Amino acid sequence: MTERTTVPDLGVGVGLRVPHYRGVLERRPPLDFFEIISENFMVPGGKPRHHLERVLETYRVVQHGVSLDIGGPQGPSPEYLRRLKALARETGTPWVSDHFCWCGSSGVHLHDLLPLPYTEEAIRRVSERARVVQDTLELPFALENTSSYLTYRSSSMPEWEFLTEVTERADIGLLLDVNNIYVSSYNHGLDPIQFLEGIPAHRVVQIHVAGHTHVGEYIIDTHRGPILPPVWDLYRLAIERIGSVSTLIEWDDAIPELDVLLAEADQARSERDRALAARARGETSVDAEAVRAALCALRGQPAVRDPGWLQGGPRESAGKESDHEAA
Amino acid sequence: MSELDRLQDFISAALRRRRDLSRDPVIVAQAEREIHATSHFSPARHLEIYREQFWLRHTQSLLEDFPGIAGILGQSDWERLVEEYLLAQPPASFSLRDLGEKLPAFLESADFLPQRELVLDMARLEWAHIEVFDAPALPPLAPESVATLDEEALASARLLLSPALRLLDLSYPVPELRNRLLSAKGSLVDLPLPEPSPTRLVLYRRELSTVHCRLRRAPFTLLEALSRGVSLGNACEAACALGEREAASVEREVATWFADWVARGFIVGVR
Repeated sequence: MTERTTVPDLGVGVGLRVPHYRGVLERRPPLDFFEIISENFMVPGGKPRHHLERVLETYRVVQHGVSLDIGGPQGPSPEYLRRLKALARETGTPWVSDHFCWCGSSGVHLHDLLPLPYTEEAIRRVSERARVVQDTLELPFALENTSSYLTYRSSSMPEWEFLTEVTERADIGLLLDVNNIYVSSYNHGLDPIQFLEGIPAHRVVQIHVAGHTHVGEYIIDTHRGPILPPVWDLYRLAIERIGSVSTLIEWDDAIPELDVLLAEADQARSERDRALAARARGETSVDAEAVRAALCALRGQPAVRDPGWLQGGPRESAGKESDHEAA
Repeated sequence: MSELDRLQDFISAALRRRRDLSRDPVIVAQAEREIHATSHFSPARHLEIYREQFWLRHTQSLLEDFPGIAGILGQSDWERLVEEYLLAQPPASFSLRDLGEKLPAFLESADFLPQRELVLDMARLEWAHIEVFDAPALPPLAPESVATLDEEALASARLLLSPALRLLDLSYPVPELRNRLLSAKGSLVDLPLPEPSPTRLVLYRRELSTVHCRLRRAPFTLLEALSRGVSLGNACEAACALGEREAASVEREVATWFADWVARGFIVGVR
């Protein structure tokens, strides 16, 4: 991958989640694409694969992973990559993505997206591996900026510089999660506008937007609830800077009715159109100072105490089966 | 070991600690060396956010996969089981689907649990559910592929069973208990514990649903032998060796059993 223009703009999509299977397959609502969590479908058969095949009859599917472990001591396992590539061939995904993170060490997989220190050593490790992953998959590969709840003393640069260095050295794409910029900015006292201005716009292949949960001292990236106004503001700023790029709504906790999700996708289209129109006029639709002020004002506001939090979204599991019968 | 590896080893070990990290002065001191404090949280408290999630996420995943065990044990014993299991068998696979793979083996020596034999049977059933749920689907054996075999060839034939099939030889009637627990959506507070009763099951996938059927001793023995790659003739002999009644049953019913198993998709090939 060399330029974002080699990756198509698919429009606006949503994450494919179990509670919506029936509605999606029966109604086939007009959506530009679905994003799947790759790991949920890296199995040989059964319901997950059946439902995926039905979805592929109508929709473009993009693969997004949560377990590659690009930054851990062990690195991506060959077996994982083999299964990921096999799935990619079946879905026809135009790119594959995962996260700027690490997932465990000493043979343990923590199933979390742990933040990396922003150091030269981490840049070397992640960029070398990312290049190998992209070559192995024979598809454009992108990494997503994560939300985080701690920062390291060893970091020697801001996150946006780290993302830029890795994507440039590895020649890969950036999956820009606008909500994660907002979450991390609140949690670490960053300026979200400066963050957005610092990312390599020409590397962005896709944008994620999602809801989050304010628990008082920090914000958790729960993917729960509708996208909040300041995140829409940041999204429009991103589109004004980057241009037309595939956009995905993530909603993984307290998953609503399909129609609520579809309405959120309509909102994204509307925000995107507004930002693209402003970009065409050489203007902006966003009051950056108001975004900064809203973030500051959030401190001290009432918070939720039961956030729920399942990284990677729900999976279709055997434990939920309820149709056992004695033959 | 690089600086990055050392940092990641420290965090990985800390997140698997069962208790609040702020109570451990060694962790607190190292966290202060590695992680920034903020105006509202100490370094250890920042790490604690991730540690809490490690336990929440894996407890939730095991609960989804083993609702029957959770129902038998109730909250307190269930939480202890999850804690002991995750400490003894930390997650190693990239997929949460594999998290409970070693739970049945772990339970064999989990002496601290009440009703351990019942729980162990439930674990075997629920892990089998997971394996059958997403196993590959292979087309059933076409009856004509064995119709041409003469008697000698048939006796030496090895039949391939569906990968979406598991045989379970259990001591308790756990499928019925599991169904009641799932229906009750809670613990076993008002449900009587079942008495031991030999329960031989075939768990398999029909269409996309996981279903089971019970088998008597002779057909179960025969099918179990086939699953180990024993030839058809020797598998029948193993079933006949169980006793006179079983031998008579094999003689009388084996053709019916096979017709039924082929129809249900248990058998997918012959070699």
